[in-house]
Amino acid sequence: MKKNDEFYVSYIDRSLGPKTKTTLKRFSIIALATIVIGALLFSFFQKPFKNSTFELTSATNITGTYYEKPYPMLRVEVAENTFKNILLLGFGKSSANPYLEKLQKEVKDLNGKNVSIEGNLIYYNGKTLIQITDDEKVILESSSKKRLPEKEVISKMTLTGEIIDPKCYFGVMKPGKGKIHRSCAVRCVSGGIPPVLATTDKNNISEYFLITDLNGKPINKDILEYIGKPSEITGIVEKMEDWSIIKIQVSDIRELDKKSSIY
Amino acid sequence: MGLNYQLVLWNNHKKTYDKLIVLGMLLYIILFAVVTLVFNSETSIETLVIRAFGSLAIIMLHIILVIGPLARLNSAFLPILYNRRHLGVSMFIAAFIHGGFSMFQFHALGDVNPIYSIFISNMDYGSLTDFPFQVLGFLALLILFVMASTSHDFFLGNLSAKTWKRLHMMVYAAYALIIAHVFLGAFQQETSPFTIGILVFGFILVSSLHLITAFKEGHIDTAKTEEKEGWLKVCDISEIEEDRAKIFTVEKERIAIFKYDGKLSAIHNVCKHQGGPLGEGKIIDGCITCPWHGYQYLPANGQSPPPFTEKVATYELKLDGKTVYINPKAFEEGTEVNPCKI
Repeated sequence: MKKNDEFYVSYIDRSLGPKTKTTLKRFSIIALATIVIGALLFSFFQKPFKNSTFELTSATNITGTYYEKPYPMLRVEVAENTFKNILLLGFGKSSANPYLEKLQKEVKDLNGKNVSIEGNLIYYNGKTLIQITDDEKVILESSSKKRLPEKEVISKMTLTGEIIDPKCYFGVMKPGKGKIHRSCAVRCVSGGIPPVLATTDKNNISEYFLITDLNGKPINKDILEYIGKPSEITGIVEKMEDWSIIKIQVSDIRELDKKSSIY
Repeated sequence: MGLNYQLVLWNNHKKTYDKLIVLGMLLYIILFAVVTLVFNSETSIETLVIRAFGSLAIIMLHIILVIGPLARLNSAFLPILYNRRHLGVSMFIAAFIHGGFSMFQFHALGDVNPIYSIFISNMDYGSLTDFPFQVLGFLALLILFVMASTSHDFFLGNLSAKTWKRLHMMVYAAYALIIAHVFLGAFQQETSPFTIGILVFGFILVSSLHLITAFKEGHIDTAKTEEKEGWLKVCDISEIEEDRAKIFTVEKERIAIFKYDGKLSAIHNVCKHQGGPLGEGKIIDGCITCPWHGYQYLPANGQSPPPFTEKVATYELKLDGKTVYINPKAFEEGTEVNPCKI
């Protein structure tokens, strides 16, 4: 040990000698410099965040035709004969179903009926979702049945991408994909949020596919082990206005040993 | 020195130390937030908080881990060691904010208990790249919590210095868990050579300083000696400075041999407070004073002066000409031994 004639004792006044003071000053400056360099490096070298939005603090009221094919959605007319299909979600990591139960019991079949919902909008890259936080804010506007969007079968396809939970991916979290977010996405899908396959092509154009089983029924628990990993999925692709659907058999998902390339 | 436990008394040095900690932490958070908002304004507040406090905690942990070896290599660093616990608790607070926000963000409001969720949401325990890194962070946070919550002298006194020290040596387990947490987690997705580089540099710095210290201190324990009728040869008396000590190892136990007022006394080297090296201390007001926190012992009997009650083992010394010899058999803690007159 390097000997120091000075001997500091905290309870003895003036025991902090000049050599010790100099060492302490140097150490403090180096420690603060480390703090500054660390802050600059860790903050500057973050990957860019996408411009997705979650309107946590403001509520929006939307009105449209309710349907489940198989996940709860609201078909909203945004311009004359132009419709947007808004995916309905519950609070936290849960499905919208518990918030719709009360109204569904009252009217028996809510499909095709005009419903207004007040909730928090989530949107990114042309897709819109809404978080419902209170079943009192789901109101039946009209009992007359309206036309539902048609599904159009495209073809059997093999797609490469990542299974995400749309709530986080389209706005609640940044990043809402990949390994860091995987556990959260697993909880969201396990809680009833529909799994979505996100793909990005060479031109950086992304497409999103709601995932169902081959019978068009919801998949949640069975798909958990594949969430948040680059995967290759084969299934029958259908188009339903502004959303795509892929019907799959979970055993047909193939994990890919590569980095995630979706955005 | 602790007889009764009371609120910590803040002297000017402690106040300066704590002000520097707060200043450093605020500086980090403000800089991180400003740079993120300027260059990456689409961030979310939760992500900003998680990343700012997580990276702050890991940088603070590196600073904490270099203090120990630096103080062993140069006694001028000892005042930093004196208040290291404040730095440790502050680091835990930063880690807790990171962990708390992450647990809420990623695991709360779901279909299972958030803590259970940490362990079962990602089940790829057999994969290195897909390993559930949040489990590692959670375990590290538990260790840091135990350390931070037992950092007061009340626990030090009740757990015994040995147990307390062992408990707090778990910081190295926490460090290993945190490094694995970052490399198997954030760095799998946020790969920048600069951020990875700063942690690699930090790891090399921490390990090198510990290895250098261990190498230098190894000489104390491996010094060869001669035995003469049950007495072990220590050194020439001129090798011990006035009011200072020479550390000598007998059967893996370090002994501090002090020279003062024309006398020599030997006591066990380990302070009862936090295991500080008494042999690197100094005689002040007739008492051996520990270099870490100023705990004091009377050289002749190894007892703290009344009303304090700490006591350490004592040893018998003799002089043969100018050569110091020690009887390796320790006396009971606090046993009076006549100092060896020079």
